[in-house]
Amino acid sequence: MLKRIPIFWKLSFVFIIISLLVLLVDALLGVREDPVSKWSLQTFFTIAIAIILSCGAAWFFVYFFIKQPVRKLANSMNKLAENEFDSQLNEDERNEFNTLASSFNNMASMLASSQAELRKNKDFLEGILESTADIIITVSPEGKILTINKGAETALGYQRQDVIGKPIEMLFVDPHDREVALQKMGPTDNVMNYETQFRTKNGDVRDVLNTISRLRDPTGKVIGTIGISKDITAEKHLQDQLLHSQRYAAIGQVFTGIQHSMKNMLNACKGGAYMVRLGLSKDDQQMLKEGWDIVQEGITCLTDMSMHMLKYVKEWKPKFEQVKLSKIFSEIDNVIKQTAKDKGVQFRQDLSSELPPVLCDARMIHSAVMDIVSNALDACVLKEFLDGETPEIVLSAYLDHDGQKAVIEIEDNGCGMPKEVKKNIFTPFFSTKTRTGTGLGLSITSRMIEAHNGEIEVDSKPNCGTVFRITLPINKTKINEEKIDGEKSSHS
Amino acid sequence: MAKKVLIVDDDVNTVKFLSVALQENGYEPIGAYDGVEGIEKIKSENPDLLILDIMMPKKSGFVLYKQIRKDERFKDLKVIMLTGVAETLEDLDTQSEDTLERPYDSLREKLRETIKTMQEDELVRPEMFIDKPIEPEEVVAKVTELIGN
Repeated sequence: MLKRIPIFWKLSFVFIIISLLVLLVDALLGVREDPVSKWSLQTFFTIAIAIILSCGAAWFFVYFFIKQPVRKLANSMNKLAENEFDSQLNEDERNEFNTLASSFNNMASMLASSQAELRKNKDFLEGILESTADIIITVSPEGKILTINKGAETALGYQRQDVIGKPIEMLFVDPHDREVALQKMGPTDNVMNYETQFRTKNGDVRDVLNTISRLRDPTGKVIGTIGISKDITAEKHLQDQLLHSQRYAAIGQVFTGIQHSMKNMLNACKGGAYMVRLGLSKDDQQMLKEGWDIVQEGITCLTDMSMHMLKYVKEWKPKFEQVKLSKIFSEIDNVIKQTAKDKGVQFRQDLSSELPPVLCDARMIHSAVMDIVSNALDACVLKEFLDGETPEIVLSAYLDHDGQKAVIEIEDNGCGMPKEVKKNIFTPFFSTKTRTGTGLGLSITSRMIEAHNGEIEVDSKPNCGTVFRITLPINKTKINEEKIDGEKSSHS
Repeated sequence: MAKKVLIVDDDVNTVKFLSVALQENGYEPIGAYDGVEGIEKIKSENPDLLILDIMMPKKSGFVLYKQIRKDERFKDLKVIMLTGVAETLEDLDTQSEDTLERPYDSLREKLRETIKTMQEDELVRPEMFIDKPIEPEEVVAKVTELIGN
C-alpha cells in the first residue's frame, strides 16, 4: 500500500508531520516569545516549504518528462511483444526521449517489415505443404502425430483433429512397418522410398512410398520426424496388371517356342514311324532301318531339348580354377577342325601370348565357345559364297586394354543375321534352325558367361558375318574372389 | 508316266520319308535341300507339284514362291506349303487385334508382310498349307487331290 504512494507525497507528508511537531513544541514551551527561537522557527518553515515546493517541482518534472515517456515506451514495447508493429512513438518533443523514440520507431518498422517477410515465407512454405498431393506428416520423438497436411487428409480421409496427438502407428496397416523404416534410417537421418501401406479412415488400404527424415533443432537435438509419402496405389495396381499380362505373355512365348521346337522333332518321329510301318509291311529291312534311324533322331532331339530345358533352369555355379585358354582352344580345335573341313570352312585360331591363365570353369567356357563356334559353322554353311571367297571362322583371345579381362572372339564371314534375329538370339526358344534348334543354346551360353561375371555381345551384318565377343574377368575381381571363397567353404 | 513332285526342305528326314511315301503311291519324288537348289530343280525337272518348306537357308520358301509365281512358265504350278500359315490366318480372321496374344506379334507382322507382298505382286496363293508335324499319308492324299494320280 505504502509502496504505491509517489515519493513526493511521502516527503511532503513527512514535512507536514515534522511541522506539526514543531508547532506543538512551540505551543508547549512558549518559544514564540524568544526572538532567537522565533527566527529559527521561521527559517525552519521557510526551508520546509522550499523543500516541499522543490519536491513538487521535481515530481512534476519527473512525471511529465521521464515517467510518462518511459511509460509510453514500455507500452509500445509491450505492444511490439504482442506483434502490434503499427505502434509508433510521438517524436515532436525536442529532448533525449525524442532520439530514443526515433530509434524505437525505426526498430519497430524494421521489425514490422522483417516480420512481414517472415510471414510471407511461412505462408509460402505452408502453401507448398498444403497444396502438395503427397501425404506429409510430422511426428514427435515419442511417436505422436504433430501435424498433417491437406494431402494427408484427402488421401487418408482423416481430419487433422482426428489424428493430432495420436500414435503414428494408427495409420500403418502393419504397425511394425514404421519401426522397421526407422531402423533402416541409420546415421543418415533419412530413409528413402520405403514401400509400405497406410489404412484410411474407412478401412481402405493405400500403397505408399515413404521417405522419412529426422528433424533436429539447431543444437542437434532430435525434435521429431517428418514423413513424406506418395500414394502409389494406382501405379501398383497397373504394375501388377502389367506383371500379370507379362507373365502370361512370357508363358505364351515359352509354350510357342517349345511347340515350335517340338513339331520338327515330332515330324521326324511321325515320318520315321511311317517308314517303319512300311518296312514291316513290305518286309523291307533297309526301309525299316532308315525309318527307325529317323525316329531315333527325333527322340534324341526331344531328349536334348528336355536336357537343355533342365540345364537352362538350373542354377549356374562355376567351379573356378586357373585355366589356360590355349588348352580350351586346342580341345575345340580337335573337335571342330574336321567338321569344318568337311563343310568347306577354314577354322583358324589366334591366341595372344601375353594372356595369363583365366579364373573360370573350363568346362563351361569350353561349352560356351563350342556352341558359338557351331553356330558360326552353320552361318558359313548357310551363305552362298562368291567365287574367290572362302568361308572362315577365326577364334581369338587377347588381353583387354585395362589388363583385367580376357576377351574371346569368335568371328565368321557367314550369312550374318538381321536386326530382329540379333535382338532375340539370347531369348529362350528363339531359333532360326529347322531341325536341330531347341532355341536354348545361346540362352544357356549367355547364362554361363553371366555366372562368370562376364559379358557376351554380338555384332552382325546380314551376308557379311558375325562376331561374338565374350569378356571374362581374369582373376582379380572381388566377386570372383567371393565366389571362390564360397566354393572353398562349401567344399570344406 | 509318273507325275513329278519336288520336295524342297532343308530337313533331310522330311525329304526322305515324303519321297518314300510319294514313291509308294506312284509319284516320282525329287528332293532339294535349300531355296537355291529348289529353284534350279524346278527349272530342270519341271515338276507337276511343289512341296515347299518356309524356313530354309539361302533362300526362304516365301522368296522362292514369289520367284516362281512371277515366272510365266511356273505361275500355275501347284504348291503345298509346309507351314501353319492357314491356321494362323484363320486365327487372325476370328480374333480382333486387341485380343491377340503377344507371342503372335512377330508372326503376325511377318504374315502381314507376306500377304501384302503377295497382294502387291498379284500372286496366286498356294493351293494348300500343311503344318508340321506331317503325316506322310495325309500329304500323299493332298497331292492326289491336287494333281491326280
